[in-house]
Amino acid sequence: MPKTITEQNLNSLIDALVQDGTRVVGPKRAGTMTVYEPLSAGVELSLAEMPRRSAKEVFFPVCENILSFQRTEQGTTVTDVDVCTFPETVLVGARPCDAAAAPVLDAVFSWDYRDEFFLERRKKTTVIGVACTKCDDACFCTAVGLSPAETRGSDLFLTPLAGGGYVCQVVTDKGEALVDQHSQLFADTPSATPQPLAEPAAGQFDLKRIKAWLDNHFESPFWVGISERCAGCGACAFLCPACHCFDINDEGTEKEGHRRKHWDACAFGKFTNHASGHNPRDAQPERYRNRIMHKFKYYDDKFGQTLCTGCGRCIRACPVGIDIAAILDEIQKQ
Amino acid sequence: MNKTARKHDSAVLVDEGYWSSVSQAIQQEAVRLLEQGAVAGVVGYIAGRRTGTAMPVVAATPDEARQLIFSPACVNNLALYFTKAKKEVSSKGKLAIVAKGCDLRALAGLMGESQLKREDVYIIGIACAGVYGAHADRSQPLCDATIARKCRECTVHEPTGADAVAGTLPALQKLEPLEAQELARLEAMTPQERWAFWKEHFSRCIRCLACRQVCPFCFCEQCLCDRNRPQSVETTPRPAGNTAWHIVRAMHLAGRCGGCAECERVCPMDIPLNLLNRKMAKELKELYDYEAGLTPQEKGPLTEYKEDDDESFIK
Repeated sequence: MPKTITEQNLNSLIDALVQDGTRVVGPKRAGTMTVYEPLSAGVELSLAEMPRRSAKEVFFPVCENILSFQRTEQGTTVTDVDVCTFPETVLVGARPCDAAAAPVLDAVFSWDYRDEFFLERRKKTTVIGVACTKCDDACFCTAVGLSPAETRGSDLFLTPLAGGGYVCQVVTDKGEALVDQHSQLFADTPSATPQPLAEPAAGQFDLKRIKAWLDNHFESPFWVGISERCAGCGACAFLCPACHCFDINDEGTEKEGHRRKHWDACAFGKFTNHASGHNPRDAQPERYRNRIMHKFKYYDDKFGQTLCTGCGRCIRACPVGIDIAAILDEIQKQ
Repeated sequence: MNKTARKHDSAVLVDEGYWSSVSQAIQQEAVRLLEQGAVAGVVGYIAGRRTGTAMPVVAATPDEARQLIFSPACVNNLALYFTKAKKEVSSKGKLAIVAKGCDLRALAGLMGESQLKREDVYIIGIACAGVYGAHADRSQPLCDATIARKCRECTVHEPTGADAVAGTLPALQKLEPLEAQELARLEAMTPQERWAFWKEHFSRCIRCLACRQVCPFCFCEQCLCDRNRPQSVETTPRPAGNTAWHIVRAMHLAGRCGGCAECERVCPMDIPLNLLNRKMAKELKELYDYEAGLTPQEKGPLTEYKEDDDESFIK
């Protein structure tokens, strides 16, 4: 029988976890927006609004030190970051589109090179997803094969109930362990009516058909028409739960400093600039093409998955109104 | 908020007919220009898929020109597409542009800085009633609650120096100058309080660089912020580098910024960047009696040196 939890007990669960020293991250109001941030108490959890940035930064921070270096008269010493010090984390209140992106990213971060920074955080994080009961006209999770009740990527999944509280669906062993450890906060409720789920308006995309078109249209006037408007910023990629390109920079003084891994984006003009000065993606349409190709062709070719969960953040944030859902729709009609 | 105030907030500022008449005038002029071969394309706006959205487009055929619109969703500063940064657009040949007052100031700035020749652009000026703010509820019409902050204090509703003008300006009501009030609030703070205010805002910056990319005046081919040999400002999104980046940008735009506030509109982290621009513009006005306007000016106070320059503020 599925268990249920009240809003108050969900807050108590967060409080208990925080008191145990567990890092709890969840949607929280901060100024004019909601963002996934560490919570210091359950009352800070705010599930009303879609967080502005995705949850990927729980595993893949916007910027992190990956080593530090010091130069002394004896020579240079290099100190690695010990990933064992990364804290046990519970990500609570993840949107299904955010939770589903994490297992997609596992593929690229454990491929020819195992990114211990990402993978260690993944291992140590328990994800509590929450079904969406509201959406806007930028949401298109259903169009890419997911749904407002998608449990992929969640360890425990909450569905809001009509009378308040949530049904808790245990998805993985991690989720089960969490429920077992705090069993007093969960109840057995024989009949509970879930709230109606969000209904994204976008129709289902034929992702195979889209990929087939992309397979054969690397060169096409289509790219110029749709993407010369692209301003070349990284807002779409930085807000995306699945975009994962990063750059590495050494920063500091001549005596000491850090090597840092930080978000990067294929829309930037310098992203592919070679040391020679040659830039294989010299104009913006070529860069935008790469974004679509990476999400709907290259990632599929390599890992058999689509690198988009339909959260709609890129659509909401695009300074020039580029609408990836409209573009995919146009491609599938070609 | 009491009931009267709420009613006032949602009162429609401009009749629906205004938007359609401006759209028709743009379409008519754009079709004429393209049919006559006077321009290779018209940079304007088309409607987006979602409610109350629009996006920039380079209409190259009369059919495309018939899709052009003007609505409160036409927020972009299209002068961007005339810069070196958008060479795939500017290389098409002579272009026409649909320009609001704030876009006209940007065009004048680009001309003053030798980035654009007046004869290379055909300007369809808009008698502009205002556009939506960044997070406006776009299911609502243009009203006190949805209009952009910059439009509340706009001084260029009627375009000047354009080749054609689209639309007739309806009667506009005076709106409370929220941005000027916010600037006054900041100016009244102690330096420590102001520092705390900006530090908090810059800490959220993720360095997506949307502020840079939409700015018509950010046309440098080598941006200081991208340099890493040697590194000028930290390129990583951390508080120190973020602060350096935004201060460098504000200084770089001082006296040049046309006040379109696109940097602020596009910031996904809601950093009130136009407050910085306005503060710098105010300083330039006070120190040098100089301001960005609708007439191209070749020399700005921060790009020329005179022996009798006032140096009293250098400490």
